[in-house]
Amino acid sequence: MMRLLLFAVAILIGVFLAGGVDQRATPLKIDLPPETTAFKPAPGAELVNGQCLVCHSVEYVSSQPPMPRPFWSAAVKKMVDKYGANVPPDQIDPIVDYLYHNYGDAPPPTTAPAAPAPAAPSTDPVQLGTKYGCLACHNPTMKIIGPALREVARKYQADPEAAQKIAHQIRHGGSGQWGSIIMPPFPQISDGEIQTLTDWILRQK
Amino acid sequence: MSKAHPGAAAGFSRRRFLQTATLAGAGALLARNGGLARAAETVTLPFANGRRELVRFPQKRPLILLTARPPQLETPFAVFNEGLLTPNDAFFVRYHLAHIPTEIDPQTFRLQIRGQVNHPLTLSLTDLRTQFEPVEIVAVNQCSGNSRGFFQPRVGGGQLGNGAMGNARWKGVRLQAVLAKAGIAAGARQVVFNGLDQSVLEKTPDFLKALDVDQARDEDVLLAYEMNGADLPMLNGYPLRLVVPGHYGTYWVKHLHQITVVDETFKTFWMNPAYLIPDNDGACVPPGTTPTRTRPIGRFNVRSFITSLAEADVVRTGHPITVRGIAFDGGHGIQEILFSEDDGHSWRAAELGKDLGKYSFREWTIPFTPRRTGAFALRVKATNRIGESQPLEPLWNPAGYMRNVVETVHIQAA
Repeated sequence: MMRLLLFAVAILIGVFLAGGVDQRATPLKIDLPPETTAFKPAPGAELVNGQCLVCHSVEYVSSQPPMPRPFWSAAVKKMVDKYGANVPPDQIDPIVDYLYHNYGDAPPPTTAPAAPAPAAPSTDPVQLGTKYGCLACHNPTMKIIGPALREVARKYQADPEAAQKIAHQIRHGGSGQWGSIIMPPFPQISDGEIQTLTDWILRQK
Repeated sequence: MSKAHPGAAAGFSRRRFLQTATLAGAGALLARNGGLARAAETVTLPFANGRRELVRFPQKRPLILLTARPPQLETPFAVFNEGLLTPNDAFFVRYHLAHIPTEIDPQTFRLQIRGQVNHPLTLSLTDLRTQFEPVEIVAVNQCSGNSRGFFQPRVGGGQLGNGAMGNARWKGVRLQAVLAKAGIAAGARQVVFNGLDQSVLEKTPDFLKALDVDQARDEDVLLAYEMNGADLPMLNGYPLRLVVPGHYGTYWVKHLHQITVVDETFKTFWMNPAYLIPDNDGACVPPGTTPTRTRPIGRFNVRSFITSLAEADVVRTGHPITVRGIAFDGGHGIQEILFSEDDGHSWRAAELGKDLGKYSFREWTIPFTPRRTGAFALRVKATNRIGESQPLEPLWNPAGYMRNVVETVHIQAA
């Protein structure tokens, strides 16, 4: 009886110790909450959505004090020079304009600031991919930040709703199914442009 | 309103500062996104554009959202009146790069020690817990840019109130012991620390920090796997972080997985030009100017706060209360706390509370009876054991680091 009792106690201690170790040995996994702030809709928003949101959320901009134009110019320059942001040179001034007029100490614009929007909607998917920053994260054949476009095409090749699903992903952003970096939403891309991009993505082999 | 109980003051002021507001800036997009538009609790920090959401992140209570990606969260100031140790779920969060780890298996996690060492090591968490003496130390961690939002003229960067600081009991092993086991080679100059967080773009510099070998060998520098008796929360560096007591949080590398000993002064963006301060006693320059000489940021300067009363609180005339607060410095320890109820015209010494160690928050208390109605400007000023104190007027530098002005809380007696 005594032996049985000792045995039971030993098992209990064993369970307790194992429990302690197990607790420590369980992988820790967290799910980050969704981002809740979007850039103000205004001319140029498509540029900041495409460039700034690759690396950081909107509050990096929206929580800054109302500052003069040189502040925003220096910030964009820092992103390019120090952090390697892949901003085409002709987008820099329009991005500074957008930031200054929407988050700086600029008086409200009486006329819309100039944005380098093409007169006619582009039907060239590579041009669109550059304009909206898609290609900063996605390469046709190679995984960089996001999955290779070829992998996306392969994943959806047998799916009759592929086009709708990809279009939804572009418009509303990602769910994290490809990894820990979640794709930001691109609400500013027109339906026609999204279709051009979706068709192009699904053609990748 | 009576303020006989300091805790009541904190609860009252916190509630008053909380307000419910819709996310105006997010409107159209979030509505389209399927009902994400919602009422969010917000706080307003007392500077221009200071409205912030309170958001609950994993393993955290609702904290002040500075940025969502990468996460930067500030502790609501009322927490500092709840106790000397900042609870893990309220501890501030600061990342630099958005590719942060969200899943870590402690079984497979390894810490590498390599570079200019005689015996490169690869250690599991079990190795760290079993092969080295466990050490505990209570220490404040504070962001270099804590309180940046109060700078005048304003400067760019994280626009923080006073909540990017916290005090915890860290448990781990001495970096000194791990380096001794690896054996630092002759001619080694610095020790470089890398965590699992990564940049999104390949061209963005990885977040690396370096300490001189002598500093890395300080017996108080820890590789910590616990804070306040529990595993580190993911967002505070699970499963292992560097703890450099008395030094700004920029050195406290999270998710630490690589230690490299080098025979040079390590060149990385995050040591230079980032995190540089003016190379003078006050780490300051005339507002709006650029320093001619700089050095990497290092130890905390002296700070002190009133925690039991908040701006615009109302107390009862003729009714005695106890004013309470905290003070800390870069590791010499707090010697004296002076309190003023007349905006700095006269000062009296406060009583120091329990000593949890020279790197910890030090509690202080002082009795105060407002003997007339009207406005009172309460000020607090600390001095450490080597005579360093706080300036009556704020010092300025272009990066918005190291604010430590004598704080003032304006209240009313009625």
